[in-house]
Amino acid sequence: MNEKERIEQTCRYALETALKKGADQARVSAVRDVSDSLSVRNDSLEKIQFAVESSLMIQLFTKGRYGSCSTNRTDPAEIDKLIEQTLASVRLLAPDPCRMLVPASLRYNGPPSRMAHDQEIDTNTKKSLLFDCTAAVYGKEPSLISVTADYVDYRRHILITDSSGLNCSSEETWYSLSAECAVKGGGDTRPSDWEYSAGFFPDAVGIGSGAYSDCAIRALKRALAKSNPCKVKSGKYPAIVENRVASTLLGPVIQAISGSSLQQEDSFLLGMLGQIVASQLLTLIDDPLSKGEPGYRLFDPEGMATARRTVIEKGRLNTYFLNTYYANKLEMKPTISSPSLLILPGGKGNAVSLAGSLKNGIFVTGFNGGNCNPATGDFSYGIEGFLVENGQITKPVNEMVMTGNMLDLWQKLLATGDDALKTTAWQIPSLLFDKLEFAGL
Amino acid sequence: MRQLLELALGKGGDYADLYFEQSLFHDIILRDGKVNAAGTNSEGGLGIRVVKGQNTGYAYTESSLASDREKAAKTAAFIADGMSPATAPVAINTLKLPDRYTILKPWDNISPQEKMPYLYQLNDLIFSADKRVKKVTARLADSTSRIEYYNSLGVHCTDTRPLASLSVSCIMEENGKRETASASRSFRMGAEFLQPDLIRELAEEVVARTAFLFGAMQPQGGEMPVVMSSGSSGILLHEAIGHAFEADFIRKNTSIFSDKMGKRICRTGITIVDDGTIPGNRGALNVDDEGVPGQKTYMVTDGILTSFLHDRISASYFKVNPTGNGRRESFRYMPLPRMRATYMENGTDSAESLIASVKKGLYVDSFSNGQVQIGAGDFTFFVKSGYLIENGKLTQPVKDTNIIGNGPRALGMITGVGNDYRMDNGTWTCGKEQSCEVSCGMPSVLVSSLTVGGRL
Repeated sequence: MNEKERIEQTCRYALETALKKGADQARVSAVRDVSDSLSVRNDSLEKIQFAVESSLMIQLFTKGRYGSCSTNRTDPAEIDKLIEQTLASVRLLAPDPCRMLVPASLRYNGPPSRMAHDQEIDTNTKKSLLFDCTAAVYGKEPSLISVTADYVDYRRHILITDSSGLNCSSEETWYSLSAECAVKGGGDTRPSDWEYSAGFFPDAVGIGSGAYSDCAIRALKRALAKSNPCKVKSGKYPAIVENRVASTLLGPVIQAISGSSLQQEDSFLLGMLGQIVASQLLTLIDDPLSKGEPGYRLFDPEGMATARRTVIEKGRLNTYFLNTYYANKLEMKPTISSPSLLILPGGKGNAVSLAGSLKNGIFVTGFNGGNCNPATGDFSYGIEGFLVENGQITKPVNEMVMTGNMLDLWQKLLATGDDALKTTAWQIPSLLFDKLEFAGL
Repeated sequence: MRQLLELALGKGGDYADLYFEQSLFHDIILRDGKVNAAGTNSEGGLGIRVVKGQNTGYAYTESSLASDREKAAKTAAFIADGMSPATAPVAINTLKLPDRYTILKPWDNISPQEKMPYLYQLNDLIFSADKRVKKVTARLADSTSRIEYYNSLGVHCTDTRPLASLSVSCIMEENGKRETASASRSFRMGAEFLQPDLIRELAEEVVARTAFLFGAMQPQGGEMPVVMSSGSSGILLHEAIGHAFEADFIRKNTSIFSDKMGKRICRTGITIVDDGTIPGNRGALNVDDEGVPGQKTYMVTDGILTSFLHDRISASYFKVNPTGNGRRESFRYMPLPRMRATYMENGTDSAESLIASVKKGLYVDSFSNGQVQIGAGDFTFFVKSGYLIENGKLTQPVKDTNIIGNGPRALGMITGVGNDYRMDNGTWTCGKEQSCEVSCGMPSVLVSSLTVGGRL
């Protein structure tokens, strides 16, 4: 029996047991991961880890009531016991008629999804990749304190079935390589920075492609550039937010249009559907069917089929993210539980070219803590980055705080780049904002 | 066990350990006035670690089959590549441990029917306290983890760890404006956790916190003195120094405090502790996750850096005793140096005198999250509420601001320590690579300068 058949057998058993023991409806989701990770620090193999992991989630719907249970033990006796105990608990709960399976018209009915490499990568290849990565910088830069390279791969099988005939399955592999360098900075400081590459296939990290991974070289360059930072005077500055951290600013927007926030009225975008919520330069598309890109998926955790949708079009909010439950609670139509692959099209250039248009400003390359009030959109984030002076990116800055309100921030969007990184599911380019409030000296 | 340890050491590893875990988690959720969702999670497995020098091989299995366990042991063994296998000890020494979390009413015996009235009572108290309340969400979670541990030094121990948490969030609306706040409590204890006083306390706290925000604003930003109230201000210690004292960073020389052992890092009279011995505390441990008894570690004594927080690897590297800080999220993770309950001991100032000494500054009293950059030393924490201080008095309420500072500099700028120490018993969770339950506490302190985010 192969992995797929083993998972199918477990799901089938759990589903039949749930119905036999009294559930009116049930959904069963199974995940099986086989993962491998290795780390090299400087010139030594520091860590190896291998894992085979299973999880089984059983969602039970009975007499208008709902509950769930999960386990990593997939033997029949464990499943029987867990379902019995959970059903006993569920019967004591208050009814919640909004809980139901995904409507038939919205279910994914297509073939299994597969985004997986066929062969396993041998351990020596992984080790070589890491040693080559650290060797590119180790012993070559006097101020380097430590370089660590991490490799992770996994193969994941997912199966989601329900008592109405849903059957969604996927198999994917994922490969990532990251490097972090710490260097001697001014005084006692040891600034560090990282770089990362990843994708569904091993060529994303340089395996089999003949391409040389320069992760550590790029990480070292970034860490060195952060030495001896300064803090500048508090004030309003135009700001460029670098592509690899720009999604931090989008996070509160996505949270604010998710079903749980809207239903609990804990959203600064409550009641804003169809309204202008941002600069007309902001168009945001969820593009889950873009094959091969991180975030590619054909169905969500409920088994609802994904589709391309424009979330924000020229500043106008077009959609909420609603799973079946929250759509029912809000008396709206379900869309999808969450975004898959977010893209922000229409821009041009990168952080350097965006900086070229500024007399002075701040180039934000990292966020250090902070938060956003979900009900009001008021935010405050620690930042690090660089000064922009006469169109050039110059001195590093740190220990400063950027503060404002999300609705106001996105109205201040002046330009977007086309330099989104292809290694993450939220592919947001570098962004230029009009004057934002920075606290420093 | 002996056979598994021998397999793990089969390639010449210096040390090996076996971590068996079986955990059961429950939660029930109140939303829109009804307890209408319940969840159960049961999981277990075995983590096998092999250490060679500073390097680690790790594998885990969820299977109880001997063949799967042997495969995991052989996989972890590969961190060493020697040809002279070590031998596991014949003698096993079972540790006699204290009981810092006595379970009077085991969670396994408590049905949702017994738990639900507490959530309904919480909901009713909140709605009846303030007409502006629109929504309440509450979650009661409990877990019981049973751990059994063996290592190649002959150490064996078992530990049963309960954890109970109650969290509530509230949304109020006033003149079309909405505000949200939350409150929580968490202890290592059985179902005796559920008490009417706890429910009343949480209801009052979340209502007061949410109502407060309508009159509050983001403060003016810039550098200023900050008085941190007693209790949850312990987040300052967790972020500003705690992480940078974790000895994996010290061993790798990447912490800004790497060269500071034995040196003065703050003024006389300041003592900072990381403590696993507080009965019932969320960060309490009878034993850590690598068989080292829970203990109290003085990190800073009278202003002098006296100890880092060690796991077995860093302790061996620095030739000191481990401090009982080797912790892991579950059998799926290898242990790392992690904090437990981190706090500052009392000073001699009154909170009122600290506030009175500030001409223009900020007083902060509740927080949501924090972060630190270990090497650069920059730390932040997000303030949910506080007040401006003007001419020694609390004036305008403030909210939603991030505060940033540099660890060593901020420690040096603690110019006053209150005599009102308090432990905060919220659901603090540390996220260093893995998730880990912690707590923090503090007397009121005055930091003479931090950078406060805010409007201009």
